[in-house]
Amino acid sequence: MKKNTFYLIFGCIALALLFLFWYSVELHTPLLIEIAFILGIVLVFLAKRKVTDVIDDERDVKITEQATIRTMQVFWVVFCAFSIGAVMQILYVPTFPRQPMGTHPPDLLGPRMIGYIQLGLLCLMVFLYVGFRIYYAKKYGEFEIDEE
Amino acid sequence: MRKNMENLRSMKNKIKIFRAIHNLTQEHLAQAIGVNRQTILAIEKEKYIPSLDLAFKISRYFGVNIEEVFIFDEKTPTVMGT
Repeated sequence: MKKNTFYLIFGCIALALLFLFWYSVELHTPLLIEIAFILGIVLVFLAKRKVTDVIDDERDVKITEQATIRTMQVFWVVFCAFSIGAVMQILYVPTFPRQPMGTHPPDLLGPRMIGYIQLGLLCLMVFLYVGFRIYYAKKYGEFEIDEE
Repeated sequence: MRKNMENLRSMKNKIKIFRAIHNLTQEHLAQAIGVNRQTILAIEKEKYIPSLDLAFKISRYFGVNIEEVFIFDEKTPTVMGT
C-alpha cells in the first residue's frame, strides 16, 4: 500500500468516528463511540503495517520520543501537584489550628469539579504534546527549506 | 555540562558532495537507504545526527568508509590522553 492510500484510509476512519460520535450523542449511548474508537485505532494500526513506503524513519521516531518524554515530564508534575491538593481536600486532612467539632472548612472544589479539572489537564496534555512535537520537529530540521 | 555535550555531538558530513559526485537527488538517496527525503536534508544541514546504523548505510551506499562521509571534528579525550 502506498503512503497516500494510508492517509486516505486514515481520513475516512476519522470521518467515520466523527459521524459515530454525533450518532452516539443522539442515541445517548457512549458505549458506541467507545467501541468504535478502539476499532478505529486498531484499523489504523493494521493499515499502517501494510504500507510499503517509509512513513516513520529514525528521525521521526526520535522526534516522537523526545516530545513524549518532555510532555510526560511536564504533565506528571502538574497533574500530581493538583491531585495531591485534591486528595488532601477529599480526605479532609486536619488543619492547624483545629476546627471546632462539627464544623467543616468550606470546600474550594467539589469532587466532581476536581474530576473535571483533571480531565481538562488530560486534554491540555494533547496540546502540550503538539507543542513539543513542533519544537523538536523544528530542532531536527523538519521545516528546513529544500535547495533542490 | 550541556554545552560540552552539544560540542561532543557536533558532526559534519559530506553527503551533499558525494551526492553531487554520484549525481543523486535527495529523494533517490533517501529511497535507497530507506528514510524520508526530509531526513537526508536534515542530515545535510547538520540539524540531525544520524544513528551509527544509518551513517554506515549512507557511507556503504557511496562505497566509502564512514570517516570519509562523516567528520567528527571535536577534540575528545582518548585513551592515550591526547
